[in-house]
Amino acid sequence: MLNWIARDRVATLLLVTIAVLLAVGVAAPGFLAPSTASMIWSNGLVLMLIALGVFPVILTRNIDVSGGSVLGLSAITLGLSLNAGIAMPIAIAMTLGAGLAAGAVNGVLVAVLGVPSIVATLGTLGLFRGVMLIATGGEWIEELPETLKALGAKSLSGLSVMGICTGLVIIAVWAFLRSRRGRWVMVVGDNRAAARHLGLPVKRIEFLAFVWGGGMAALAGITFASQIGFVPNQAGTGIELRAIAALVLGGISLLGGVGSVAGVVIGVIFFTSIDTALVFLKIPAYWNDLIGGAMLLTVLLIDGRLRIALEARDRAARYHRGDAQAPQSQKLEDAA
Amino acid sequence: MKPALAELISVSKNYAHIPVLKGVDFSVYAGEVHALLGGNGAGKSTLMKILAGLVTPTGGQVRIGGKALSPATPSQAQAMGLYLVPQEAHIFPNQSVLENVCVGLPQAASAYRSRVKDLISRLGVTLGLDTKAATLEIADRQIVEILRGLIRDAKVLILDEPTSALTPLEVETLFTRMRALRESGHGLVFISHKLHELRAVSDRITVLRDGHVVHNEAMEGSTDAEILAAMSPGVTALSDRVAGKVTSEEKVLSLSHLSGEGFVDISLDVHRGEVLGLTGVVGAGRTELAETLIGLRPRAGGDVMLEGRPFRAAKPSDAVKQGVVHLSEDRQQYGLFLEAPLYWNTSSFVYDQLPFFLRPAREQKRFETYRKSLGIKCTSPDQPVGSLSGGNQQKVLLSKCLAAEPKLLILDEPTRGVDVGARNDIYRIIEDLAATGTSVIVISSDFDEVVRLSDRIAVMAGGHLAGELPAGASTDAIGQLAFESKETSHA
Repeated sequence: MLNWIARDRVATLLLVTIAVLLAVGVAAPGFLAPSTASMIWSNGLVLMLIALGVFPVILTRNIDVSGGSVLGLSAITLGLSLNAGIAMPIAIAMTLGAGLAAGAVNGVLVAVLGVPSIVATLGTLGLFRGVMLIATGGEWIEELPETLKALGAKSLSGLSVMGICTGLVIIAVWAFLRSRRGRWVMVVGDNRAAARHLGLPVKRIEFLAFVWGGGMAALAGITFASQIGFVPNQAGTGIELRAIAALVLGGISLLGGVGSVAGVVIGVIFFTSIDTALVFLKIPAYWNDLIGGAMLLTVLLIDGRLRIALEARDRAARYHRGDAQAPQSQKLEDAA
Repeated sequence: MKPALAELISVSKNYAHIPVLKGVDFSVYAGEVHALLGGNGAGKSTLMKILAGLVTPTGGQVRIGGKALSPATPSQAQAMGLYLVPQEAHIFPNQSVLENVCVGLPQAASAYRSRVKDLISRLGVTLGLDTKAATLEIADRQIVEILRGLIRDAKVLILDEPTSALTPLEVETLFTRMRALRESGHGLVFISHKLHELRAVSDRITVLRDGHVVHNEAMEGSTDAEILAAMSPGVTALSDRVAGKVTSEEKVLSLSHLSGEGFVDISLDVHRGEVLGLTGVVGAGRTELAETLIGLRPRAGGDVMLEGRPFRAAKPSDAVKQGVVHLSEDRQQYGLFLEAPLYWNTSSFVYDQLPFFLRPAREQKRFETYRKSLGIKCTSPDQPVGSLSGGNQQKVLLSKCLAAEPKLLILDEPTRGVDVGARNDIYRIIEDLAATGTSVIVISSDFDEVVRLSDRIAVMAGGHLAGELPAGASTDAIGQLAFESKETSHA
């Protein structure tokens, strides 16, 4: 049991999340209810989509910190086009197009022009936010149509349309990573030179990862606008860093090549449930960042310690076995 | 004449206007093993990378199976039936062995499981398909690379120094496999620095020097002397051991019943001015012993005396301060600062002795002294060390060790991937050092090298000290010790 927990970051985090939820349930009766679960899910949707977008980028050993700005840019694309009277399906298509285009800009900078991903996306983080502000003239976009708000409203047994979409995206990413091409994304981050040597289209994989990130940020923008019904100037600011923190918490290595969809989901849910729990415990919202940060460090430290202890044990076991190399000497005897 | 499976026609390559290859013709025919030999920096690796589509040539043609390689990418070359097994295995550390072998193939890895298993058993090695690749030893990583080539049904297989990390037994099974591939009509290119290995399997030999082909003959028609002369004019053989060397009886280092990770109960003495050869097969515990001595690994038991006083290093800098300097077998990872100038590397063991404000001129002067005495070939002391050839990199490492003025120098595989000329230089440097009273432990898997260098030979096997042999012992005697004691420990 202990072994299993130590080997799997996702399992550790799952147990911690359950423990935190139970503890809050004891302190604030009424917390442990299906409605809370539905609330945590819908509160975490935007973060979840951004995290799912950055996930493949990090798997290829790159990083994308422009997610928040792409979210804002797509949200105003949606708001402006809807308020201009464009039909909903076309407006949504345009929004997704804006996100994909923004992702493609990141992808060209990194994969084609060879700009380090942190530099490139820090640049576009400012750039896209600037485009957004110029397009709106610094105004907020309000009075979005009810048809849009309906996408974010809970309808089917506590789930919204966007909530269901996000669920489908999670399943799609899970299935993709189990496919042959999904494996390509992981191996590019694991050893880029080796992937190139084996003839994988490394640059195309990196480019597509960024495009995917842009598309997901656009989906997050739609969710954001549908949930709150207006688009403020600072929509999505700072969410990219929260998404990256959630990924790290879920065991996705910033060095690339390691991570699972389960890790992404549980990492995001952990963050969101802490925020939600604080509301139930009537702790002022400005404590959220401090408590979230402290929880992140605690889990990472404990997990890191466990891992070091385990590695030391594996190493000791390996050298212990080294004393009696029965199978190997057998082979030598046969050869002699 | 059989058809050429792969052909390079007057290929040339310039790196920043410096020509590396000057109009090289090279071909591999079906059913032959073509040996490719050349000093470090002669252009062998570049030539093979061009053939494999990893490097675009400045001029000339690349043809595989009679058709031009276009576009010149590795995937195209692989699709046309050519695979390059690189010198340093390219591994995905977080993927399983099976995934490592099958990445890039048209189907998912699980579809190839039985075929890979079959190939592994035909190669005569043991390798778990679901092992995480990060845990593999260097030799097993090489096997993974060879499996990649075989599973792709490559008609042309280029093996770039495949034997440098293998044990003699594994080398023999690899050769058997290579002969079988030749019989079935494959064409192989075999790169190695060891002439006797090339001779064992090759049909034809091409020697490259300074970007030109200087020798291209049937293997049988070429004598060792001819080949060596073509490769580096003036060197006709490895220099012989100086006879009649007298060593001091004064003990510099003495180990008693030392145990640690991967070795137990090692008792050894090293005398002043002596070259002790420490040998055995890969995995015998030699590297672990050296790393334990200098404090990289924990010591489990036993005592070490240095010049009559107890010696214990908690970290490598302790060892350096007491005059014990170690050079790792993995020079790229643990030895060099590849992007840093040459003279920084030379100073890197003695940084604690440098003044607060650095004096680059003085450091460059120190480097200059070593450049002359060790014969390092470079254009300027500001050059990054990564731009030098393997042999010269090794000399830079030696200069860094010498700068620390060691009493005892531990060299782990000092000539791995180093050509004959530079190898001679390194042997001379080691001998000069011993003559001035420095004791040297040379760890090497190359039994010939151990015999050539050592005043005394210690053989390890399976973590135990299998025995000690005097200077000039035969390689057979070493081999017996290195393999036999494993059998007895088994019995």
